[in-house]
Amino acid sequence: MMDKAMRPLTLFYILIVLFLFFPILIVVPISFSNGRFLSFPPEEFGLRWYREYFQDPIWISATLRSVRVAISSSLAAVFVGTLVVIGLGRRRTRKSGALTSLFLAPAIVPNIIVALGVFILAIKVGLPDNELTLIAAHTAICLPFVILIVGSAYRQIDPTLEKAARIMGAGPVRAFMAATFPALAPSFIAASIFAFFISFDELIISLFVMSSAETLPMRIWNDLRFEINPTIAAISVFFVVITTATMTFAELLRRKAERRNRVPST
Amino acid sequence: MSKRIALLPGLAIICVMFLVPVGFVFQHGLFDPSFTTEHFTRFINRGAYMRIFWTTLQVSSVVALACLIIGYPIAYFIVRQPSRRRPMLIFLVLVPMWMSILSRTYAWMVVLGKEGIINQTLLWVGLIDEPLKLLFTTGAVYVSMIQIMLPILIVTCFSSMTEIDQSLMRSARIFGASPFKAFREVFLPLSLEGAITGTLIVFILSMGFFIVPALVGGRKDTMLANIISSQVSTGNWGFAAALSIVLLTATLLVMFAVRLFSSRFVHHQGETS
Repeated sequence: MMDKAMRPLTLFYILIVLFLFFPILIVVPISFSNGRFLSFPPEEFGLRWYREYFQDPIWISATLRSVRVAISSSLAAVFVGTLVVIGLGRRRTRKSGALTSLFLAPAIVPNIIVALGVFILAIKVGLPDNELTLIAAHTAICLPFVILIVGSAYRQIDPTLEKAARIMGAGPVRAFMAATFPALAPSFIAASIFAFFISFDELIISLFVMSSAETLPMRIWNDLRFEINPTIAAISVFFVVITTATMTFAELLRRKAERRNRVPST
Repeated sequence: MSKRIALLPGLAIICVMFLVPVGFVFQHGLFDPSFTTEHFTRFINRGAYMRIFWTTLQVSSVVALACLIIGYPIAYFIVRQPSRRRPMLIFLVLVPMWMSILSRTYAWMVVLGKEGIINQTLLWVGLIDEPLKLLFTTGAVYVSMIQIMLPILIVTCFSSMTEIDQSLMRSARIFGASPFKAFREVFLPLSLEGAITGTLIVFILSMGFFIVPALVGGRKDTMLANIISSQVSTGNWGFAAALSIVLLTATLLVMFAVRLFSSRFVHHQGETS
C-alpha cells in the first residue's frame, strides 16, 4: 500500500516543484520582452530590459556597492568564523555549547531587530550611511552560517594528521596550515559563497543603516513600491543564473571534500 | 588554553554588531530615560497593534503548518527513492531558493496583479468579466511565504529522514505490519523530531517577515516587522524598540514551548538504534 502511495506522491512532487519554480518560470519570459510595458506572454522578445539595467548608472552603482559589501563581509565572516570553529574545538563541553548558541543566535533573532539596534548604534557613534557599518553588521549575520558550514567540515577531518605535525615539531599555526587548512579549503569556498548571497540579498539592515548610498536590494525595493518594472525581471534572471551556477559549484566542492575527508569508520 | 584566543575576533563582532545593538533595542524599549512601561501599555491598549501582533502569530503558524503538511510527504517521497536519484530530487527543491526573496515577491506581484497573468488569462478565457482582487490579499501573502519557506522545511525533514535506518521499516513489514502501520509505528515517530525542527525554523523565520506582507499583502496583513520599520521612519524609536522586544519574546516563547512539549513524546534517534 505504501508503495502504491508512491505514485500519487510522484505527481504531488512534480506539482510542488512546479510551484517552487513558478516565480522563475514567470520572470524569465518577462525579462526577455521588448514591449514598453509589462505584458504576458510578451508580444516581442529582445534584450531591452537587460540593456536598461546595464546602461543605467544608478542600477550599476547600487549593484557594485552590494558586490563590494557582500565580498567584504563574506571574507570577514569566513576568516572570523573559521577562527571561532578552531577556538570551539572538536569536543563538545557545556561551555563550548553555550558559546556556540551565542554565535548562532543572530540566525534566530529576526533581522529587523538587529537592524533597529545597529541603526541606533550607528547614530550613537556617528557612522550612519556608512558602508563599513553595513559590512560589520552583515559579517555578524553571516557568521552563524559560516560556523555551521566550516564547523561540520572541521569535525569530519581526522585530527591525527595535525597531531602528527605537532609531534614532529611544527608550531600550532604551522601544523594547522599544513595539515588541516587544505582539507578545509572547499568548505571555505562554500561558506564564502553562501555568506556572499546572504549579504547580497539582505534588505532590512541596509534599509536602516544606509540612506543616500543604496544597495541593489534597496534600489529594487524602492522601485517595486511604486511600479512593477520589467528591469527587475532582467536583474532577477541575471542573478538567478549566477547564483545557481556558483551554488552548484559550491555544493559539488562540498560533496567532493566530504568524500575525501570522511574519517574511516572503526 | 591558547586555542581560546581564536574566539576573540568572533566574540568582538558578535558583541559589537549583535549583543550591543540588541541591548540598545531593550534600552530604548524599556527606558525613556528612566524605566517605563509606557510603550508596552500603548501596545496593549491600542487594538490596532494587538491585531497586528495576532496577525503575525497567525500568519507564521499557518505558513509553518502548511509547509509541514506539504513538505513532509515530499521529503518522505525523496527519501524512499533509490539513493542515486535523491541528490537530483533534493537539488530541484533547492534551486528556487537561489532566487532572492525580493525577486520572487516581484514575480508574485506580476502574476497576481489586477492586470496580472492570472486575471488576464481568466478574462481572456471568459470565466470572469472584471479582474479579481488577488494582489494585496492575505491569500497572496500565504502563497508567497509558503513558496519561500517550503524548501527549508523539506531539506530539514529530508536530512533527518536519511538518518532513519530503512531496514527498520522492512523488519516491521516482515513481522506482519501493514505498510501503513509500519510507517505509523516506525517511520513517523523517528522522523518527528526533524519535522518539528523544520516547522519551528519556518515559524521563527516567518515571524520576522517584512518584504512579503509589505509588497503583496493588504493593509490588514501588516506584520510586526512592518510597523517596526514604519515607527522608525516616523522617529518613534522607543515604540519601535518595544515592538521589537514583543516580537523577540513571542518568538522565543513559542520556540521553548514547542521544544518542551515535543521533548515529551519525540523518540530520539539514539534510543532506538
